[in-house]
Amino acid sequence: MKKIINELLTIPSTDADDARRRKLLNILLMGMAVLALLTLSAALIVDTADVTYLFFISPAMLVLIAALFAINRYVSGPVASTLFVLVFTIAIAFADEPEQVVNGRSVFLFTIPILMASVILRPWASFVVAGLSGLVISALAIVELDHGVLYFHAIPVPTLLGFFAFALVAWLSARSLEQALVDLRILNRELDQRVVERTRDLAEALSRNQAILEGIADGVVVFDNHGTATVANPAMTSIADIPYEEIVGQDIHVLIAGDVNEEDQEIIYDLVRNSIMISPRLKFEWGKKTLSATFAPVRDNVGKRTGTVAVFRDFTREAELERLKSTFVSRVSHELRTPLNAIIGYADMLRERVYGPVTDDQQQALDRVTVNARRQLGIVNDLLDQAQIEAGTIKLRVEPFATADLIEDVMGILSVLAQSKDLELAHHIEADVPKSLPGDPQRLQQVLINLIDNAIKFTTQGSVHVRLYRPNPSHWAIEVSDTGCGIPLEAQSYIFDPFQQVDNSTTRKHTGSGLGLAIVKQLVQLMEGEVAVKSKVGQGSIFTVVLPLVPMQIQEEPHEH
Amino acid sequence: MNTSSDKPLALIIEDDPDAATIFSEALKAAGFEVEVIATGDRALERLSITQPVLIVLDMHLPNVAGPDILRYIRSDDQLKEAKVIIATADPRIADELENQATLALLKPISFSQLRDMASRLK
Repeated sequence: MKKIINELLTIPSTDADDARRRKLLNILLMGMAVLALLTLSAALIVDTADVTYLFFISPAMLVLIAALFAINRYVSGPVASTLFVLVFTIAIAFADEPEQVVNGRSVFLFTIPILMASVILRPWASFVVAGLSGLVISALAIVELDHGVLYFHAIPVPTLLGFFAFALVAWLSARSLEQALVDLRILNRELDQRVVERTRDLAEALSRNQAILEGIADGVVVFDNHGTATVANPAMTSIADIPYEEIVGQDIHVLIAGDVNEEDQEIIYDLVRNSIMISPRLKFEWGKKTLSATFAPVRDNVGKRTGTVAVFRDFTREAELERLKSTFVSRVSHELRTPLNAIIGYADMLRERVYGPVTDDQQQALDRVTVNARRQLGIVNDLLDQAQIEAGTIKLRVEPFATADLIEDVMGILSVLAQSKDLELAHHIEADVPKSLPGDPQRLQQVLINLIDNAIKFTTQGSVHVRLYRPNPSHWAIEVSDTGCGIPLEAQSYIFDPFQQVDNSTTRKHTGSGLGLAIVKQLVQLMEGEVAVKSKVGQGSIFTVVLPLVPMQIQEEPHEH
Repeated sequence: MNTSSDKPLALIIEDDPDAATIFSEALKAAGFEVEVIATGDRALERLSITQPVLIVLDMHLPNVAGPDILRYIRSDDQLKEAKVIIATADPRIADELENQATLALLKPISFSQLRDMASRLK
């Protein structure tokens, strides 16, 4: 019903003001029609001689209203409105006794067309209608026909002024209303424009982000705070070998269950749920693939955590290469060492007279064979160690070992070398160094051998001293000092770099791979320690290795129980 | 095969012929009757019928790996008394198996080193 009335009243028009005014006219016409019908009903009920004229006037009003409605709808709003105002004004003029119209109870009725004109025509139309009303009452006032006698009166100036004052108010209110509507329309248009622009920007940004996401070779999955995947990119579907529809909307537990071992599953759940900042790279097996993953929190613009973004990288090929490299290194290691060991072994047997007597010259030749083979074996070992350190395949085996055993084993190995150069090789363990220390004895021995071997190599006369002490309560230290040629200050910065030896002339004089100190430094770093050198040319060098008394590997252990 | 020999029998299980020669010369010098076997499966076969006093066992062997042979020796009642020297280039393996063997020697093992060790084990 409401909808039907609204449709009946609304007139489609391209001009918003015109449409509004025509609708207002329709509302007024409807009001008038209702009034006419009520009047007619009242006349029918009362049905006395006084109201007989209403039987004619009310239907006439209805016909007129219908006509104006038709004009308003099908011809022109302004025409219909003008006619309506005119008819209304004239109707008022003749609706009562002339003196009542001019100066009595009906004069206020003229304010109605004045007001109506300002809203259904133009604001300024109120003045026109005020003028028209003024003319009507002036005419009625000046000329009065009473029982055939014509009287003339003065013009009712105050009433006319009142009309114009009212017209002014009507004009002002209608004008400000229209202005407000215009402003509102401009505002709306700007708002619409802005919405269009923002929508376009947003669409562009989204498509750009989408393009980035789709172009990325890494698998990207965004999880919400409950661990449910909300976004995934095409790379992820190929990396995980799961269709897109089965990733998005899926819980992380379901997603990785079965394809990832339980220990890694736990770590991944934890990272998805609790990633506070960007997590370190995690490497794990997903089905047949090796993946690496990083997890970072997703935050909204007020910093609230809304989920986690996980970036997965297919690491399968790299992992395979790493495995191959590791296999290659150990294969080469075996193949290089075996013949050298055989050479050293046969030379040893010849020297031990297994194959009969040996002359002094032959003995000397055998010694040279052994020395050179051993030197080459040392270089091969250094190169393989360096390769293993670079590949990250060296793992420390930390266990308690006897401090004295470590030193004495090393002394046993190197004392022959020191004696051959007529050098004093001595060692001393300070009383506060524990009898048993934690560490990887094999690798510590390697560190010691490299340092002492190096000291012997660069010392022509004097001594090499090894001292174990406590530089502070939480560390122990190995100090290897010699009375050798020393290291120039500028060289001290690079002697721990791989393949470095101090100047070429020295390299020629002192053979070796140039890896010894580099291996020392890398091993010591693996042991969470530090190595440093102090040296003066011509006076000798002091190498110091400082190691923690309680390495991290040991500290972590109690948590496992 | 010289069955009349009163020298104790030593078994060298080693696939590298040069290492096997050095080991065998060292053990002979230490006073052992020596037999060399180059593969893991042959070693198991031989161990099932002989009771050597000393076994020098390489860890990297074809067919049956060194640790498996060591486990077999340690589980066999007949071989309970046998002394076992394991020979490996890997210090980790040497460490791991040290208490299962009489001795764990790191390769390269020199002639004189093995000769001296073996004479003490005779």
